[in-house]
Amino acid sequence: MAPDLGNTQKWMQAVILHPGSDHQAVASPRARKLVPASEFPSLIRPSRTLDSFDRIGIYRGMYLARLQEALEADYPGLRHFLGPKRFSDLVRGYVDRYPSQSYTLNRLGDHLPKFIQSSPGIARKDFLYELARFELLMSRLFDAEESPVLTPEAIAAVPPECWETARLEPVAALSVQALRYPVGAYLEAVRQGKPRPSTRRKKHWAVVYRRQYALRWLDLSPAAYRLLHALVNGVPLGEALSGVLRRGRQPVGEVQLFSWFRGWVTEGLFQAVELDDPA
Amino acid sequence: MGRNRWNLPDLGFGIGLRTVHYSYILANHPPIDWFEILSENYMDTGGRPLYVLDQVAERYPVVLHGVSMSVGSTDPLNLDYLKKLKVLADRTRAHWVSDHLCWTGVSGINVHDLLPMPYTDESLRYTIERVKAVSEILERPLVLENPSTYLEFGTSTWSEVDFLSTLAQEADCGILLDVNNVYVSCFNHGLDPEAFIDRVPADRVVQYHLAGHTHKGTHILDTHSDHVIDEVWSLYRRSCQRTGGVATLLEWDENIPSFEVVHAEALKARRHRGLPETDHTRAYGT
Repeated sequence: MAPDLGNTQKWMQAVILHPGSDHQAVASPRARKLVPASEFPSLIRPSRTLDSFDRIGIYRGMYLARLQEALEADYPGLRHFLGPKRFSDLVRGYVDRYPSQSYTLNRLGDHLPKFIQSSPGIARKDFLYELARFELLMSRLFDAEESPVLTPEAIAAVPPECWETARLEPVAALSVQALRYPVGAYLEAVRQGKPRPSTRRKKHWAVVYRRQYALRWLDLSPAAYRLLHALVNGVPLGEALSGVLRRGRQPVGEVQLFSWFRGWVTEGLFQAVELDDPA
Repeated sequence: MGRNRWNLPDLGFGIGLRTVHYSYILANHPPIDWFEILSENYMDTGGRPLYVLDQVAERYPVVLHGVSMSVGSTDPLNLDYLKKLKVLADRTRAHWVSDHLCWTGVSGINVHDLLPMPYTDESLRYTIERVKAVSEILERPLVLENPSTYLEFGTSTWSEVDFLSTLAQEADCGILLDVNNVYVSCFNHGLDPEAFIDRVPADRVVQYHLAGHTHKGTHILDTHSDHVIDEVWSLYRRSCQRTGGVATLLEWDENIPSFEVVHAEALKARRHRGLPETDHTRAYGT
């Protein structure tokens, strides 16, 4: 009996998604349950030049090629580090585990860092996980909402006595990161076509943000990271500053603090100053 | 011959808005008639794509073209997607919204391909109801494109063109007639493309697509990677004689050349429609 529309679609999708050969896909248990292999040649008509396997094979080939192209665009650093063959193998395993469930390919790679972390047998897994996580972060910041930027006039309007308890609201496209590997430098080298930099473990700190629709990052000292991390998480300015002054191994002077703050405002990392309600 | 059933305007000769041309368009404001926007690229972003789209929509007529509506799928309609699509259409003042006569996945999965329908009575009845539902949600008629296909189902009892035509009449939707896709599918299935063109109801056609393709010898792939071939121009002229000419869009998605080259290719359609040259067609030497 001919399959109805629903079963025809389930069958075709099962064949397209199957990781084996065209013949293995058609003969797979999931596909055979919907359309017996003996009925396949009558379900998919051969053409003058292609048999039924060739014809369904076109869709199977395009499926993987399309998803690989999308993931290459979102993960250029990962693709560069792994090379074409290992990246292709990674994509095959990934889309088998996490087929797209969104109407947009922009969300296809959302689980890739998690997939790398949980997959056995991946060399340099810690580095690759952090690189993938960083590239996913870049994609999210690329698409984040555009925010207004804090102006010098808005800063000047804050009464001096209010700064102690003021909170700074970061722009939407911003993330403060503590990293174990130099993934930012690696990505920059890939983008500029420079030789591969060291990928050895090296702690560093950075803020990643978008300015005038372009993604950027600034390297931070440990103390600057602690301060900025506190501020973007809503800690009042006075408390955030005293935290930095209290915890650091090396003293941070007022001039240094002022310089950081001025730099961050100039780079457009904040969109507003929130003051305590006087009531 | 005559206008389409909704009196949707003939927007002239446009191209698809592509990332590689953003800077050129914003800097030069080229004198192009209109742009077609790939809906899904702008539905979930607050970044540069949306900024560019707002600039473009401010200055040029815009039409939304999607690839993920999956109107033929047996999965429930994705209402979240349709709501976002409507918001985008309103934001850009889109003249119409189009997608494909296809399905893109089932059981919650998206294959991200324009998968062919079996052309059966069951499929037709089902798709008619789906198109009606979508048009109601979008509060505007849906326009559906004939996709390029690489296989035919043995269960089909309708030809593609009769299926599409009946769907358009019964569901009251428009047709985006992709002339290159007609050529590609007819080659792949051993059918007569002129017979296809002649059977399309002219009053339902609101837009044309033109594109290049990749000939693999045994079959043709719809890659949008090259200039339009003569046979496709011939089919375009044939169809224009029946429709009187409607909004025409040139697609180029692989190995995308400069804006001028893509625009010049689109403007060739003016000549094939028998329209006089403009300053730009002369400048491009089309």
